Amino acid sequence: MSQWVIKGLRTGVKSTRYPRVEETAAGTSPGLPAATKLPAELAQLLVARCPANALELAPTGVDVNLRRCIHCLRCVRGTNSPMGWERNYEWATAVSGGNDQKRQFGPAFDRSVHILVVDTGDCGACLNEVRQLNNPYYNMHRLGFFLTPTPRHADVLLVVGALTEHMRVPLRKAYDAMPSPKRVVAVGACALSGGIFGRSFMCAGGVAELLPVDVEVPGNPPPPLAILHGLLVSVDRKPPARLHRGVSDSAGNASG
Amino acid sequence: MISMGLLLVIVLALCAAGVLVPLAIEERRTPAIVGWFGACAAGVLLCFSGASLFADTPFHATLWSIPSLATLTLSLDRLSALFLFISGLVLLPGSIFAAGNLHRYTGRYSLGAFSVQFFALFATLVLIPLSADAVSFLMLWELMSILIYLLVNYEDEVEEHTRAGYLMLAVGEAGTLLIALAFIVLANNGPLEFVAMKLGGTALGEYARWAVFLLAFFGFGVKAGLIPVNFWLPQAYAAAPDAFVPVLAGATLNLGLYGIVRVNGDLLPVAMIGPGLVALIVGSVTALLGILYATTQSDLKTMLAHSSIENAGIITAALGAGFIFVASNHPSLAAIAFAAAFYHTANHSIYKALLFFATGAVDSNTGTRNIDRLGGLIKTMPLTALFFLVGALSIAALPPFNGFVSEWLTLQTMLQSAGLASTGVKIVFALCGAILALTAALAVTCFVKAFAMSFLGMSRSESAAQARPARASATVPMAFLALLCFVLGVAPTYVIPVLDGAIAPIAEQARAADALVPPFFAGNVHHGELPASFVADFHALGAQVGQSVMPGRGLVVLHRGGKANPVVFAMSTFYMAIVLALMLVVTFAVVRLILVRERSVVRRAVWDGGIRRLLPEMTYTGTGFSNPVRVIFEAVFRPTTVEDTRETVGKHFRAVIRRTRGENHVLDRLVLNPIADAALWVSNGFARMHHGFLNAYVLYGLIALIVALLIARFSS
Amino acid sequence: MHRELQKVLDEVEARWNSRVQLSQEDGAESAYRLECGPQQLPEICNWLFSDLHYSFGGLIVEQRTRWELRYVFYGGREAAWLQVLTHLSPSEDRVPSISRLVHAADWHEREVEDLFGLVFEGHPRLGDFVLHDDAWHEGVAPMRKSFIASEPVLHREPDLTRKPRQIVEEAGAFLMPIGPIYAAATGPVHFQLETVGEDVIRAQPRLFYAYRGLEKIAEGRRAEDVLLIAERISGTSAFAHSLAVCQAVEHMCHMEVPPRARALRIFVAELERLRHHVAAIEGICESTGLAVASAQAAILEEDLLRLSCVLTGHRYLFGLGTFGGLTINLDDSACNRAATQVREVAEKLSVLERMLSMSSSFLDRLEEVGHVSTGEAGDFGLVGPIARASGVSRDMRKAQPYSGYDQIEFEVPDESEGDGYARLRMFFREAAQSALIISTVAKKIPGGRFRVPEVSFRPGAALGWVEAPRGAALHWIRLGEEGVVDRYRIITPSFANWHGFRLAAENFAFQDFPIILATFALSVHENDR
Repeated sequence: MSQWVIKGLRTGVKSTRYPRVEETAAGTSPGLPAATKLPAELAQLLVARCPANALELAPTGVDVNLRRCIHCLRCVRGTNSPMGWERNYEWATAVSGGNDQKRQFGPAFDRSVHILVVDTGDCGACLNEVRQLNNPYYNMHRLGFFLTPTPRHADVLLVVGALTEHMRVPLRKAYDAMPSPKRVVAVGACALSGGIFGRSFMCAGGVAELLPVDVEVPGNPPPPLAILHGLLVSVDRKPPARLHRGVSDSAGNASG
Repeated sequence: MISMGLLLVIVLALCAAGVLVPLAIEERRTPAIVGWFGACAAGVLLCFSGASLFADTPFHATLWSIPSLATLTLSLDRLSALFLFISGLVLLPGSIFAAGNLHRYTGRYSLGAFSVQFFALFATLVLIPLSADAVSFLMLWELMSILIYLLVNYEDEVEEHTRAGYLMLAVGEAGTLLIALAFIVLANNGPLEFVAMKLGGTALGEYARWAVFLLAFFGFGVKAGLIPVNFWLPQAYAAAPDAFVPVLAGATLNLGLYGIVRVNGDLLPVAMIGPGLVALIVGSVTALLGILYATTQSDLKTMLAHSSIENAGIITAALGAGFIFVASNHPSLAAIAFAAAFYHTANHSIYKALLFFATGAVDSNTGTRNIDRLGGLIKTMPLTALFFLVGALSIAALPPFNGFVSEWLTLQTMLQSAGLASTGVKIVFALCGAILALTAALAVTCFVKAFAMSFLGMSRSESAAQARPARASATVPMAFLALLCFVLGVAPTYVIPVLDGAIAPIAEQARAADALVPPFFAGNVHHGELPASFVADFHALGAQVGQSVMPGRGLVVLHRGGKANPVVFAMSTFYMAIVLALMLVVTFAVVRLILVRERSVVRRAVWDGGIRRLLPEMTYTGTGFSNPVRVIFEAVFRPTTVEDTRETVGKHFRAVIRRTRGENHVLDRLVLNPIADAALWVSNGFARMHHGFLNAYVLYGLIALIVALLIARFSS
Repeated sequence: MHRELQKVLDEVEARWNSRVQLSQEDGAESAYRLECGPQQLPEICNWLFSDLHYSFGGLIVEQRTRWELRYVFYGGREAAWLQVLTHLSPSEDRVPSISRLVHAADWHEREVEDLFGLVFEGHPRLGDFVLHDDAWHEGVAPMRKSFIASEPVLHREPDLTRKPRQIVEEAGAFLMPIGPIYAAATGPVHFQLETVGEDVIRAQPRLFYAYRGLEKIAEGRRAEDVLLIAERISGTSAFAHSLAVCQAVEHMCHMEVPPRARALRIFVAELERLRHHVAAIEGICESTGLAVASAQAAILEEDLLRLSCVLTGHRYLFGLGTFGGLTINLDDSACNRAATQVREVAEKLSVLERMLSMSSSFLDRLEEVGHVSTGEAGDFGLVGPIARASGVSRDMRKAQPYSGYDQIEFEVPDESEGDGYARLRMFFREAAQSALIISTVAKKIPGGRFRVPEVSFRPGAALGWVEAPRGAALHWIRLGEEGVVDRYRIITPSFANWHGFRLAAENFAFQDFPIILATFALSVHENDR
């Protein structure tokens, strides 16, 4: 067994220093569309191009509703006037009216937050990104986040996937079995709005139809850093972002 | 005060009344007779034997004299008093329980017959320890064997019961035969009264001593449940009616142990180490086999029967250790060993009777004894569950209950072998100690399974889900015995001096109390074994706490070995109980008053992974729980037939997977089948003589005549 | 035409001359259609499967003017594709089952019964498969044209007396339920394990908790949108599934894919396969508790994800495939940089393999555990690396080459032991082969276009296939007017492999169960669709 100890020691430290330091390595995030200033006809063409209705027509360009973006990349590829693009990853937003809003998690949860991951009809990519959170690059244990298989020990319920009819009962039971205080984090476009699976006879239009959601992390799939940001938002260790990016907002403008 | 003789007469008169009265009254009043007369008789018996045990009141009665055989005598010494007292403790609640339980049989079986048999057995249980000569002893023993056969076979409409009873009777008769032979060898052509046998026994040679030991050991071992003569016990206990089996396990099993102690401790004290080793080894192996089979049983009664075998094994092992110490001239160590054995005998009777009461209550109210069909009874039968739990904790030797004290003392005895001279004996002690430790661990497994699968979790059958609580005639006896379990567990230092009276004669006058329970020190006389510096340390430990409050000796069981083995062991269940109680109370107070003040406690359904509904089929069965034990000890269990059939539709659609395993008890495989095969072989050989030719038979007669004449010629 | 195929066709003629109709698929020289009546199905399918050793690809059911049931068989390169086609009139709904003879069709028939309402006579286990009995009424049949996908459905009250089927009859046997929420981060699947305490006697997985009705919601959408759905069947093999759909449509619309696009498609597909296998290795190490090894594999997986993101703009290669090529050009220098990084990953992977082969406590958990014999693997129609570990070594890249795989030199590794260690070795060796293919392709990527300039759809139906990381995947698409999808059938490798999972899990101890599950590298999402 000593070969493994030596191997581990020689591999060294690979963890990112996020959230103290911005992570700048390449390939950690696919980015998201940014609200873009465009003339009206081009704007209309772009809005029609989005198959998920994530782009909205604004007076001066195109607004983005990140909740619906499914990363098909059609707004930047195959068109002469592509959307602006943000390369960051801090996308999570806090939703008011969730769980226990008056009760903070408190200092007891600073270094010990247990997360139950429930997959309610995911494609597998979001779940795989969640699994990456435990790899040496992201290492969420150093931030005090741990995965647990049972809701009795869980503080945060992380839901991925569009809510299928078959998973309604298990999800509800898992939520009910968690003791207070608890938070619900919905990860991925499917969990926020149903994604490409949309509202159908099998899928709901997002997890919020069944549970009160506290934090929403958009993306398809959101990269591990975005999910990490979402978890930090859920325990009030990071400020949330906004899901709706408007052209007329002071931040996040880009031209085509 | 009332004389002892009068007390005995009252007991026997009540028994006689219990035999005669039911013949005269209506059947439905019989349970009340059983209850009242039995309880009163047991109470008087407790007074009778208690007078001897606590106050050393003697009793001796010479009855009729049978010419050329013996004078029938009854005599009470503290050894007999101890066993009588234990029987009384079991018979008192046992009669009340039987009275309540008999209602099940109205209409199907004769309740009067039960009463007659029960009280006749009661009388024999009283008289056998009192019997002081071989003739009355054997007559009473035989009567007892027949009566327990009748009682075991009470529900004779069930075929298995008849078979079990018959087997018990047959093996019992063989045992009686061995006992009779033992007495004959012991008497050595002299008188058959015990007093005379004891005097004459000193003249016996080594072979005769071995013969007496082995005959008595295995003869009494039948009733005591020792291998290899205990193969009748599980079926018989399972067949016996619920009203009777507590008495069977709590009183008649002790008679076998009484016999072993009487013959080998009193009548012919062991002078060689060999017999003690035999007892030690047989006891340890019995214990291990008993608990192994108990752990893998799914029928509560059979499990408790195997557990009785285990406990009998532990007692015998302690007795064996005691015999070895007596033979090696370590009387104080012998005293400790016998203290352990007698304490365990008392404990076993009490908690086994308690467990059988609880099992009987469960059986009456749910109709099943199969652990795999019970479950969830703690909600519907809470008191029964509580008392079963007390019994289970006791038998699993957990403080602060009584099983802990006797098991602890037994294991400590095994560790005292360092004082012995021979290395071989020390190795045997070490191995047997290890086997007993393994047994203790398996006992915990067994009773965790028994309690958890029967009382906790979800109900696995309709009848278990709809059980009614046990009636008072069951809960009151259980409460009495549970209280006794607790008292005997918390106050061992008061029990050991009482046992002393029984131990002293067989351990060459050494006193267990002296070896084990030092009195509160300051200025006391009997601490010759403890030097002053030691006393000071002990003081610092707080062992003097309670001196001005408690009467008698200290609250700590303590032994300090001699020069050869200067080891000190000490324990106090009294202090343990106090500490446990304090911890419980303090934790409860801290949690309830400090931690959980503002938050509410919310109750939710069991987390089941998100399935729609958790069904009883999805919970662990007792068989599943004990499967690892079965797998680890596969060499012992060795299932004989494992039938594995699969029915399929097409080649790959499976309809049914059926697996059955037949098991052959290891004793059957290794001991009984070879003996039976040998006997069959011999008799087949002789059968060849029975071919039917008249001429040959005449020839046989001629040969026999010639041989007889030759013998007569050459022996005159 | 190849000799093998000719022999087969001749034999068909000889046996069933008057009762079947043999014709060639339009435009495909190695695909034949065998039309017969429903009653002859079991005999013909059994002959193809058992006697001629064709692989059973799947069952495709379409509701057109009448019911069309298409049983797809394929052989090696020479034996090609054989679709056994039978028709039922619209009012009929019974057809003989072939599952008793061709067990690989078992789950296909159960799925069709649940979703279409067709009854397969002789199948002993219909019902409660895709649509869980405790939520759905009988006879809902959502795949029928009369069912509207966007309308909500009334669900039934749960039946409180319903008990799961138990087939083990032994004293003390009980059911151990696991899931659907059971481990730290896994897809939802419920296991009903029947046991007597130590060994798992019967392991029955209950799937389709993640059933999203993809085949149904694809109907009526445009082909480009269905491409999005194909990517999201299973995000970890997104490119492979989208490639299969592209190939089906390209075949149907006679699109000639430029050589550069074909080479780049191979590059990206092998990158995906490499990343999937590394993730599988990580899962196996994690299940045995060998933390350092699983961390090493996780590092490599993250490296590959970042590499994919830099190269193609998305960590899971979404949005890359399109009809007639790729959506963007991956220029040669970027490909070469990626190939260099892949070579480094491959070296570290071989070091990891060597270290694992010397850890005896790790191998103890895998050797002789979870054994699947060659015969069973064949009977159940297992595909992919786990089937090849049991000696069933058909690989679509060699058996029915596509996208230019026939011009590349590579090996398909072969094992026959069928235990957990064989499957682990298979993942390592296939990963090494994928790295090799990436290097080979990167050295000489043809120049030219990376996509077809004009895409024009025409109505028709076609089958597209790929060797996805987990095994053979088949996609059947029927386009109507203007590129609107009329029927989309998805047959995934996980569907076949979940079917055969119980062969490995049964008769082993409970402690081995998670390890056996990890060695199968199954995807719940890919199966459930």
